[in-house]
Amino acid sequence: MSAVDKKLVRNWVRQQSGPAKRAALPAVLLACVGTILAIGQAWCLAAIIDRVARDRAAPSLSPIGIFAVLSLFRAGCMIVQEQAAARAGIRARARLRRSVLDSVIGIGPALLRRQHSGEIAALLVDRIEVLDGYFARWLPASMSWVLLPCLSLAAIFWFNPRAALILAVCGALVPVAQAVFGIGAALASRNQFLAMVRLQSRFLDRIRGIATIVLANADGREAEALSRAADELRRRTMKILRVAFLSSAAIDIAMVVAIILIVLTQGHFLHRHETSGISVHATPDFTATLFALLLVPEFFAPLRGLALAYQDRAHAAGAAEAMHALEHGGDEGIVDGAGMAEAIGPVTVEGDAISYRWREDLPFVFEALDFTVAPGDILVVDGASGAGKSTLIELLLGFIHPVSGRILFNGRDTRAMRGREIARYLAWIGQRPVLFAGTLRENLLFARPDADDEALDAAVRAAAIDSFLPLLPKGLDTEIGEGGFGLSGGQAQRVAIARAFLKDAPLLLLDEPTAHLDPDTERDIIESLACLAEGRTVVLSSHSPAMRALGTQTLSLSHGAVTGGHP
Amino acid sequence: MMSEHSPTRTEPDRVHRTLEALRMIVTVWRPYYGRLGFGLLLSALALLSGFALMWNAGASVSALALGAGTSFGLLRVFGGARIVLRYAERLFAHDAMFRALAALRVWFFRRLAQGAAAGLGFRRAGDLLNRLVGDVELLDNLYLRIAVPFLAALISLPVLVIVAGLADWRLGLALGGLFLAAACLLPLLSALRSSGLSHTVLHAESALRVAALDLATGLREARAFSGELRLAGRIIEDETRLHEAQLQRNRAMAVSGALSYLCGQTALVILLLAMAGLGGLNLPLLSGVGLVFLTGTVFEGVSALARTGVLAGQVGLAARRITETSGERMDESGEGQCRPPETGDIVFNDVTFRWAAPDPVPGEDMVEGADRMAIARPPVLDRLDLTIHAGDHVALIGPSGVGKSSLAALLLKVAQPESGEISFGGHDIRTLDTAQLRGRIGWLSQTTHLFADTIRNNLTLGRGNIAEDRLWDVLEQAEIAEVVQELPDGLDSWVGEGGTRLSGGQGRRIALARTLLLDAPVMLLDEPATGLDSATERAFLHTLNRVMRGRTVILIAHRLTGAEKLDRAWRLEAGRTVPLPL
Repeated sequence: MSAVDKKLVRNWVRQQSGPAKRAALPAVLLACVGTILAIGQAWCLAAIIDRVARDRAAPSLSPIGIFAVLSLFRAGCMIVQEQAAARAGIRARARLRRSVLDSVIGIGPALLRRQHSGEIAALLVDRIEVLDGYFARWLPASMSWVLLPCLSLAAIFWFNPRAALILAVCGALVPVAQAVFGIGAALASRNQFLAMVRLQSRFLDRIRGIATIVLANADGREAEALSRAADELRRRTMKILRVAFLSSAAIDIAMVVAIILIVLTQGHFLHRHETSGISVHATPDFTATLFALLLVPEFFAPLRGLALAYQDRAHAAGAAEAMHALEHGGDEGIVDGAGMAEAIGPVTVEGDAISYRWREDLPFVFEALDFTVAPGDILVVDGASGAGKSTLIELLLGFIHPVSGRILFNGRDTRAMRGREIARYLAWIGQRPVLFAGTLRENLLFARPDADDEALDAAVRAAAIDSFLPLLPKGLDTEIGEGGFGLSGGQAQRVAIARAFLKDAPLLLLDEPTAHLDPDTERDIIESLACLAEGRTVVLSSHSPAMRALGTQTLSLSHGAVTGGHP
Repeated sequence: MMSEHSPTRTEPDRVHRTLEALRMIVTVWRPYYGRLGFGLLLSALALLSGFALMWNAGASVSALALGAGTSFGLLRVFGGARIVLRYAERLFAHDAMFRALAALRVWFFRRLAQGAAAGLGFRRAGDLLNRLVGDVELLDNLYLRIAVPFLAALISLPVLVIVAGLADWRLGLALGGLFLAAACLLPLLSALRSSGLSHTVLHAESALRVAALDLATGLREARAFSGELRLAGRIIEDETRLHEAQLQRNRAMAVSGALSYLCGQTALVILLLAMAGLGGLNLPLLSGVGLVFLTGTVFEGVSALARTGVLAGQVGLAARRITETSGERMDESGEGQCRPPETGDIVFNDVTFRWAAPDPVPGEDMVEGADRMAIARPPVLDRLDLTIHAGDHVALIGPSGVGKSSLAALLLKVAQPESGEISFGGHDIRTLDTAQLRGRIGWLSQTTHLFADTIRNNLTLGRGNIAEDRLWDVLEQAEIAEVVQELPDGLDSWVGEGGTRLSGGQGRRIALARTLLLDAPVMLLDEPATGLDSATERAFLHTLNRVMRGRTVILIAHRLTGAEKLDRAWRLEAGRTVPLPL
């Protein structure tokens, strides 16, 4: 990881931990209560044993009763505390997911230029879910690892200052030792990091490509290579673990040393009393010693918890890097503008000297385009592949903005409009419409959720969806999309057309809508599209001659000029 | 949209299948029994030294309190032993586990490769494969988090019972009973109780994933139709459902943990009562204090087991899915030994085929993903006849889902026809050696995978005996040699995951070069250019025309671009071929 990345990670972590720490506060407080109860329990135990030892008599039952009650409370406290930690993790993840959703929606379709949709989905789901450990375990542990031992220490100090001193010294040595070994582990892991990541992902990668491997008769060789890689991974991982385990051994050492020292020193103490002739049985120190001994595990438990949660922290780094890609450019949040529902009248679209290039260092896709499309006109965008037909459609969609020049809707510059406002003017049909998981009806109503049955029926008829409706097991209520009934490309395109009918927007943008269809299906689709185009302002790009025949004027991107009439 | 978890399988059946799966996995670990066992032994010794330390500490202090002399030497020995043993145990157990996991992965890979995996690849069940890999990773927990603590419990039990029993046999019985409850009964109960919870969490997770993917792929639609809020709303809804399920599972874990803790505390109370001489029990002070310390340590050692019980449901599910999915084997009747001819006509004679309706995720009651529609599929090929002459360039056209890829799967013997016969150069392919047949047929498709590896390894796929010149030759033919030359590391440049450091067209050309390296007389091109933008697609098809001269070419596509040079073409309709005029 480079220095820049580390800074980035640190910043992100700081930014995330503020609210997350507040959310973790109840869990930390409950942990404190738990420690106080544990102190009480230890005191009860010590007092009971002391009484038996001193009087050689049966202890009264009340301390045992108190001990039992404290245990019950502690058990309850544990349940509530774990739930509180889980809730903190859930709240933090939910908050984070909302902010990522905000960015994704704010950046909008432009994001798909930079990232694969699978990556975006992984960012929304897995990258955030994996942070559960960070929010629910690491944060509370990191907030309480000083506080809780101090509570135990204070209690021990009150009764047994000597033991408290021993524990304090041993406890303080743990972070020091951990820092030393931790740095070692970090150094070791930095050298191994890239190699390990490659080796770890190798398995997933090979399983994904298993068809390719099997069909190339390479499965035997690949299995051997996989085995070698796993062995290599093990050796590298163990190199790191060898150092990392030293840091947890530090806790063991400190704990054992503390126990032995307490027993030894307090033993002396008792001996001295004995030799000076004072009755051992009367000394109060036995209780104090027992009390200290019983609290030793409690004292070290938070340190152990921190060490266990340490690996959860590493996930934050990965998430930070992934989320960083989203930081820039979210200009629109999930706020919904009011008044978006009212219908919009006919629109004339004007291009005024539009130029565009994807990046500063790349050549212009096109320069100084001028065109006007009035209602009822169909503008065919012409040009070789890569001449920027799709780019022009995306500009009109408002997904991107021209580098210079203006796009005017009824004389209004679209740059002054928000993306969602631009979207109200238009319906768009691309090469491959996305079908969402859900019923066909839900997929159609996506364009206008408040449409009534009549409007829906009209759209279904106009887009000729009724032609394949009988083939679907449950008609309009058939599940389609991811995991549902598979629609063919032509059928999916009809869904897109029906959506456009439902939306009933004055501007229709068609980006190679028949590019992936066979000729017969294309013919049918064009029929429906022609019907849809009637009376609207249409901009269309297509290679298909039949499609282009619909046009009333042509814009040639290679020449940057509009020619009238049929192309 | 997701069907609720329906208990179609009975509980005993599930338990039985889980045990069967676990047995199989433990068998895979056989070569590592020694190491795994040694790890367990070390962990047991570390545990015992821990007990000895705490018991000794308590006893020493009490002895002092009573004025009896005691030796502190033992304390130091136990303390030192505990530290060293703990460290050694961690190292050894982890090392052994990594070895065992590596073996498990290789075993899984081999089984998958021999089984129906290639078929899965054809059906683009990438998500299913991802999940299976996750399952293999989940099995990490089996040894370290389940086997090791369970052994600890097995060792702790006799220690506790004997030490307590020496004082009073009734005490031994009582503590032993409580310990069994904490170490065995509670984990078992929570495992049984939470197996349903694991399902709920899994389902909620996959629903969330679908919703997120919908938003990500549908960003354009969402903007164009102002549907962002609705899609985001669905994500948040699914997230809430998932988090509720997680919270429920967490509660189950917390309650189990607390109950296990209470068992330990009850044991302590019984000890205290015994020391007080109640219930006719009489516990001497010395062993009493030692026992108090010992009991605390012993019960703490198994406190994690109750929680692990919740996890066990998930691990069991993972084990089932892995063993059962990778166990789907091909029909062995199609395994022949004959050497296929160099080349020849390919004839499909009266072939009927349908994808089987498998339970794609064994162990799950719900059928998910793209496989849901696999149930009760109609035949994709219905008594199909087709002859492809050697050397011809032919195309099979049709919308997706009509069975074009099934043809490829049948020819490559990834699937078997229900009836009918396929022959290559006059031999029924069932009689031909599968590996050699696949050596005759080069396969290039949009799903051809580019591995996260160097370009060289992507080309050779592990064959070490290929001359460098030959590699450059095929790169040249695929018209990608220049690009590779300009890369800083040349042939040894790393291709990112899924080939992401190359553009779509470049990646496809590398895949083409790999196919060319096989130098197969027959080329099966399954939508080779799909997913590329139209300019790149055209250029790629031109390259294909050039390099395919002199071979039999079967092009499978949903449409023709006009850039293909063909001798014949058919449209696939209702499971049969219809000749297309060219």
